[in-house]
Amino acid sequence: MEKEKKVRVGVIGLGKMGILHTALVNMIPQAELAALSDVNKQLARYVEQSGLRAPFFSDLSQMLNEIALDAAFICTPAFANLAVVETCLTKNLSLFVEKPLAHTFEDAKKMAGLVAGKKNVHATGYLFAHMSLFKKAKGLLDTNVIGRIHRFKSSMYTSEVFGRKKGWYYDKAKSGGGAVINIASHLLYLVYWYFGRPTSVFARGRSIYSDGVEDDATALMEFSDGVSGSLDVSWSVPGYRLPYLDLSVEGDNGTLELTNDYIKLYLYKAQKSFPKEWTTIHKIDMPVTSPFELGAEGLYEEDLDFIGHCLDRTPPAVTWQDGLEVQRIIEAIYRSADRQKVIFLNEVD
Amino acid sequence: MKLDRLILGSNAFEGVSYISRMQSLHYLEFFAKEDNIVPVLEAAVAADVKTFMLSNCRNVMAALKKFARNKELTLLPVIPNAYEYAMEASEKGVLGAVLTKAKGFSMYQKVKLGLRALTKIKSVISKDILDLLLELIHFELASFEKYRLGGVILHGQLTDLALSSRNPDILTIFQDLVRDSYDLEPLLATHNFGILLPQLMEWKIKIPIMAPLNKKGFMMRPSQPECERLVQDSGYQIIAKKVLAGGRLTPEEAFPYLKDKKIDSVVLGIGSVPEAYHTFSVAKSVLKI
Repeated sequence: MEKEKKVRVGVIGLGKMGILHTALVNMIPQAELAALSDVNKQLARYVEQSGLRAPFFSDLSQMLNEIALDAAFICTPAFANLAVVETCLTKNLSLFVEKPLAHTFEDAKKMAGLVAGKKNVHATGYLFAHMSLFKKAKGLLDTNVIGRIHRFKSSMYTSEVFGRKKGWYYDKAKSGGGAVINIASHLLYLVYWYFGRPTSVFARGRSIYSDGVEDDATALMEFSDGVSGSLDVSWSVPGYRLPYLDLSVEGDNGTLELTNDYIKLYLYKAQKSFPKEWTTIHKIDMPVTSPFELGAEGLYEEDLDFIGHCLDRTPPAVTWQDGLEVQRIIEAIYRSADRQKVIFLNEVD
Repeated sequence: MKLDRLILGSNAFEGVSYISRMQSLHYLEFFAKEDNIVPVLEAAVAADVKTFMLSNCRNVMAALKKFARNKELTLLPVIPNAYEYAMEASEKGVLGAVLTKAKGFSMYQKVKLGLRALTKIKSVISKDILDLLLELIHFELASFEKYRLGGVILHGQLTDLALSSRNPDILTIFQDLVRDSYDLEPLLATHNFGILLPQLMEWKIKIPIMAPLNKKGFMMRPSQPECERLVQDSGYQIIAKKVLAGGRLTPEEAFPYLKDKKIDSVVLGIGSVPEAYHTFSVAKSVLKI
């Protein structure tokens, strides 16, 4: 694909994330919003009234047959992703799929298999990969500022579920689970990005308010290089108006704490350009890197990254292989909680 | 549109902090009690800051009701309450969240707004979504009918969503609705000032804009220099927000940056009574108000 050519994009699924990706694609100069699709025919009126100059289809196959596309953003509920992907791949499209890749490990594995060895660009919506503070922390860990890592502890909490909720998001058969797959998957991506694939997981999960999906979970993880870590997640903790992450890493040279708002380093002696003892890097102090923002920091960069790689035909920041690895950890957590025993990741295949 | 130079914002009352989770938690806990908001309102009025920008939140509305001098305030409601809709959307979808809100209308409101059909969900779905959204704006504004309004601010998420459609219709409809139905001035909040303003100029929409403007460049998109250039050259009425860069700047550090900028007003979120007196005092001194 030549550099000057725009990527012709379709957006499939016009829920909250689909609307956001539609808006963001429309703001990316290298992209052309060419078609929109949702099974809810009523959304045709939304598309028309919002002024988007792209045809709407309630039938995905019809859209793919009538509109020539290079790429699609798949923002359907997780249980629908595999079927939508299979349909889109009949037209050999490059595909972005909102996280998680699928509601089950099996579906995620099939999806990754469908694109393995092919030239299609495939991306997964793990937003943290595009957020400046989290990229900064990755750089600090990769350059060994805190030295050899011993262990980490991590948590992610939000105030969302305090009673039984309805909808596919809270239905295990459709969403794949509760707080782990829907909330902690972002944190698990970060764990995978920073520390690699764990060798084993031991986990517990509980349903307090929900029927059939976990409202909280705790997991212990071990890694091949001797690193161990813990993860705690809940969507039923008061006082968190938005999902909030806290990751503390201990190493030979000191500690690194990462939250949504800051990185806090404590070093036993000066390392690289950082002084002995405390350094705080606030998100507020990070330079603006995105020319546009809607919904959340990093979303525009995420879409721009995918579009850019569609032009280059090179792998984006978070591929489906990465998405599958996150899904493997999620599956291990669920198996461990279910079977009440340690699960080795090489057995999850 | 004539606006006061200093405006009290309600972010802290809603638990918003860009600094840390601990501060957010403190705000959520402390300001959950409306009795803790009232003294901040009193301090603002005592400092002659009598314009209050707010969302339709339970604790803020309760504090407003309790505040004895509320008739002295001019309110700038930010609508819709996007946070509330976003929280609902994970369970019910975007349309479902809107419909849930609409179903909460009282019979009086339904009759008043001509929404008798809201009792029948199918009828609601068949309504044009924009019409429904406009009715929801009426609905949200109904909460403020006992107070003096100085204008109505479209929430930044909605403004920026409308901007991304590259179509002026939504903003034009909002502008006409606020002017024609309420005889008030519409304003737009945005987190994409440097992109929105040139687009508004192209669309020939002249409307006050509330946008981040601070010494650190925090949330100034696409860049701090571009936003500064537009502030100086555009001739638009500008209300600066995030002037303390989410709390990373002290008032003494923040206000000198604003001194020579062509801005009409400054919105300040305040987290305590001492902070109110200190911040407003420095602002008045530096900005010569």
